[in-house]
Amino acid sequence: MEIKKDFTDTSLIQSLRTEANPDDAIRYLYRTHYSLTAAYIKQNSGTEEDAEDIFQEVVLAFIDILKKDKFRGESSVVTFLYAITRNIWLNELNKRGRSKLRDEKFEKGKDTVEMDVSHLIMNREITSQLMDVVDKLGETCKKILLAFYFDNLAMKEILQTLNYENDQVVRNKKYKCLKQLEQMITTAPNLAKNLKLYYNE
Amino acid sequence: MNENSTNTELLIQYLDGELQGEDFETLNKNLANDQSLREEFENLKLAKEAMRSYGLKIKVGAIHGDMMRELKGNKEPRAKVIKMIIQYGIRVAVVLIMLVGISALYQYLTTSPEKLFSENYRPYIIHTMRGVPGSSVLSEKYKMGNMDSVIMEFKSLRSPQPEDYILAGIAFLEDKQPAKAIETFQTLIQENTNSKTDYFEDDAEYYLAMSYLSNQEPEKGLPFFEKIQADSQNPYNSKVSEWFLLKLKSLHVKN
Repeated sequence: MEIKKDFTDTSLIQSLRTEANPDDAIRYLYRTHYSLTAAYIKQNSGTEEDAEDIFQEVVLAFIDILKKDKFRGESSVVTFLYAITRNIWLNELNKRGRSKLRDEKFEKGKDTVEMDVSHLIMNREITSQLMDVVDKLGETCKKILLAFYFDNLAMKEILQTLNYENDQVVRNKKYKCLKQLEQMITTAPNLAKNLKLYYNE
Repeated sequence: MNENSTNTELLIQYLDGELQGEDFETLNKNLANDQSLREEFENLKLAKEAMRSYGLKIKVGAIHGDMMRELKGNKEPRAKVIKMIIQYGIRVAVVLIMLVGISALYQYLTTSPEKLFSENYRPYIIHTMRGVPGSSVLSEKYKMGNMDSVIMEFKSLRSPQPEDYILAGIAFLEDKQPAKAIETFQTLIQENTNSKTDYFEDDAEYYLAMSYLSNQEPEKGLPFFEKIQADSQNPYNSKVSEWFLLKLKSLHVKN
């Protein structure tokens, strides 16, 4: 039976920001915050499916913000997540051509403060464009680059999962893959420019 | 390996924090002075960040699927139980409706005036009414169960009393002469009307209705049964139920 781990705001932030395997913390986020997001989305012209999609984006944005050390802890996690949810959902409504603030019904928590997090969240179109570009990389390239840059594995560890002679071969392959990805990003219209704006925020 | 690819390799080592010593210092200087090199480095950095964003998206996406199943799973059991209860309820209701339907059909097909009569006929019990004269000879013969004697005695009477009509009517009825019974009960009712009395009126009406049933004329008995059923004070009220009336009406439909 799975043990469901509890987190305080501090331990949650710590886990999402630094742990190589923050799965428990992500699951905790879903268990404790999804229903609030779903209620907000459904009260503001959204569906359960919208809520699912938006919450996934909220979690991604939150972890990304934590990893970039952009969360200063001036509000509780729930308040901050609300601000992210609101930002993403109102942008989505705007895109769908709905009037947004006028019929917003969500009752804000007592400690809710108006927070502009828009500059911290990667635009959905940019994310989508980025994912498309990376998807076009070969499977081996994705595997090596993810193992190295996302899972922080050493070359020898990566070698064990691949059918290569030695870690130098893997290193050369990684070099070629990263260069290939860099070229794909720079040739995609506006992607490099938008990513620079976002990553250097 | 040309100079460009050498630079790229050094840039990646620099990016990965693997460049040290003289190479590190040299590249630092070159980056400060070479715009295109700096640009390439920035783009490689973008590629590295892109992989991190991609990895995070994949990880959260995988957990997202699990968690949605878990969170929906918490809601589904209750919905499933409600659905099961509704389905079970519908099945029970369908079975009940079918049973009721089959029963109603069976009753409809098997109901006949004879059957209704035999199921509901109860012999008349003589009761004494103060101040109402009766024929003791007729009563005694009736108590002995000799219906032919009752009929013969009744026929010999020059001026029968109200109870004589009742006993004679019952005797005709039990002697399978319902037409004669009808005539006898009707006579008593008519005499009551003429003399503005109501001697044995309830008895006469009930047994008249039963006589109609026995005589295959349930439609003529129906108004009397309905009157008895509507009057809770009528002594025969408990003998005429809604169900009995329904079966009586079904005879009318069948005919």
